[in-house]
Amino acid sequence: MINRIWRPIKEGFLGVFRHGAMSVSAAVAVTLTLIIISLFMMFTMNVSQFTQGIEQSVQISAIVGYDHETAQEEDRISLAIQGIEGVDTVTYSSKADEFQYYLNSFSDEKTREAFKPFEGDNNPMHDAFYVTVKDGTALESVASQIAAIDGIDTVNFGGSSAITLISMLRSIRYGGGALALALSLLAIFLIQNTIKLTIMARADEIAIMRNVGARNGFIRAPFLVEGIIIGALGAVIPIILTWYGYTSAYNLTGGYLVSQMFKLIPPAQFLKNACWTILLIGVVVGLIGSFLSVTKYLRWKR
Amino acid sequence: MIECSHVYKKYKNGVNALYDINFKVEQGEFVYIIGPTGSGKSTLIKLLDGEEIATKGKVSVVGIDVGKLSHSKVPVYRRNIGVVFQDFKLLPSKTVFENIAYALEVINLPKSLIRRRVRSVMNLVGLDEKGNSFPRELSGGQQQRVAVARAIANRPKVLIADEPTGNLDPSMSDEVMNLLDKINREYGTTILMVTHDLTIVNKHRKRTVVLEHGHIVADLKEGGYVQHDQ
Repeated sequence: MINRIWRPIKEGFLGVFRHGAMSVSAAVAVTLTLIIISLFMMFTMNVSQFTQGIEQSVQISAIVGYDHETAQEEDRISLAIQGIEGVDTVTYSSKADEFQYYLNSFSDEKTREAFKPFEGDNNPMHDAFYVTVKDGTALESVASQIAAIDGIDTVNFGGSSAITLISMLRSIRYGGGALALALSLLAIFLIQNTIKLTIMARADEIAIMRNVGARNGFIRAPFLVEGIIIGALGAVIPIILTWYGYTSAYNLTGGYLVSQMFKLIPPAQFLKNACWTILLIGVVVGLIGSFLSVTKYLRWKR
Repeated sequence: MIECSHVYKKYKNGVNALYDINFKVEQGEFVYIIGPTGSGKSTLIKLLDGEEIATKGKVSVVGIDVGKLSHSKVPVYRRNIGVVFQDFKLLPSKTVFENIAYALEVINLPKSLIRRRVRSVMNLVGLDEKGNSFPRELSGGQQQRVAVARAIANRPKVLIADEPTGNLDPSMSDEVMNLLDKINREYGTTILMVTHDLTIVNKHRKRTVVLEHGHIVADLKEGGYVQHDQ
């Protein structure tokens, strides 16, 4: 029983060494593919992070009319906003808060002084609600629903430019994801072909094994182990590149691209999983490639 | 042990290889199948070891209907027969010892028994010293002896040899023939040997079945080959 588990593992390792050149060429194919997949993975995950960040930061400001400023009315409005589908959080900001916020936007004391007379009862500001939405695409419809509530004077959100940005990032994300998927499939096909070539050279070997009475499973097992080893070996360089490459890219850019809006995912949070994923893809691709190839050559002769 | 009744073989490409082949080999017999190139000898071997299926008729070896076996059962059937090929068919990336041991590993024998068996057959074929050599490091005669050792390692009841001396010079051929003789006598293994080497057939006389153009044209119990009219 133990022999049944150890034999294929031992034979698999031996196979990798005894067919060194072919193992290396197959592992190189895996390496190149995984590097491409890794690049796409880092790209799409970051774009996805941008989109989420922007979606969350975009908010709707709903300004309450002067004649609806009683606590009772504002409670009603708050409840009405919370009742709208797609609304995530609702934050109340009084006219005093608003004025303070406005004042703080000036850096010099003089200007602030100039606005002093408007404090208190003369405050020209409105009470306001700040609304965030769960899904960026719902921004416009939520905004129009808020505008329809009795007592709301005006509604502001980033407008069509915010929506355009969100939908643009979205299509980049989906497009990138689709491209990564297509590339991965292409890569799997390439790898399978390379492995097939390495096994084709051993088609005779497989036929001989059947000649001396080896069952198909007995023949296949060591080849599967070989595929796993080749896949894992092929993942080594991509993992190192991803780890150091992403860390240094992050440090070089200071953690964001162009503006603070495009924050990169911090390496610590992302790299461990990314590297495991690369290893897993390598191993699975090696395994599948080997399986398909051996099966083909098992059928070659009766 | 081996029985062919009304066996026909026509390949997919339309080539007719065998017509109405009937013969029977009893346990412990040593039989030559001879005939010129293209007479159907190799096809007959392929039918016997399960690589090809007869178009018509029944091929039965050690009581198993070979043509009825599924693809996955063919190797299991082959554990009952040993086959020696003209081109040896040794695994190039395995040593002599491992090549012979492989035929025993596939039937899940315990390691210690495998080691003992391999040593004993290596001794029988006179290659005690070559266990760690790879096939490419051996001469043709030595490689063929390894192949014989592998074929008999799991003590099959039937040994089929396809031109085992085809690639060897006369002195090495004699060596292999003496070995097969010994196996036939000592183990009582039924041996069916395909050859076109008339020197051997006439020197080591055995029952001889003559194939020509896919027909059995003679079955000489006493052996020795009488040249046909050309």
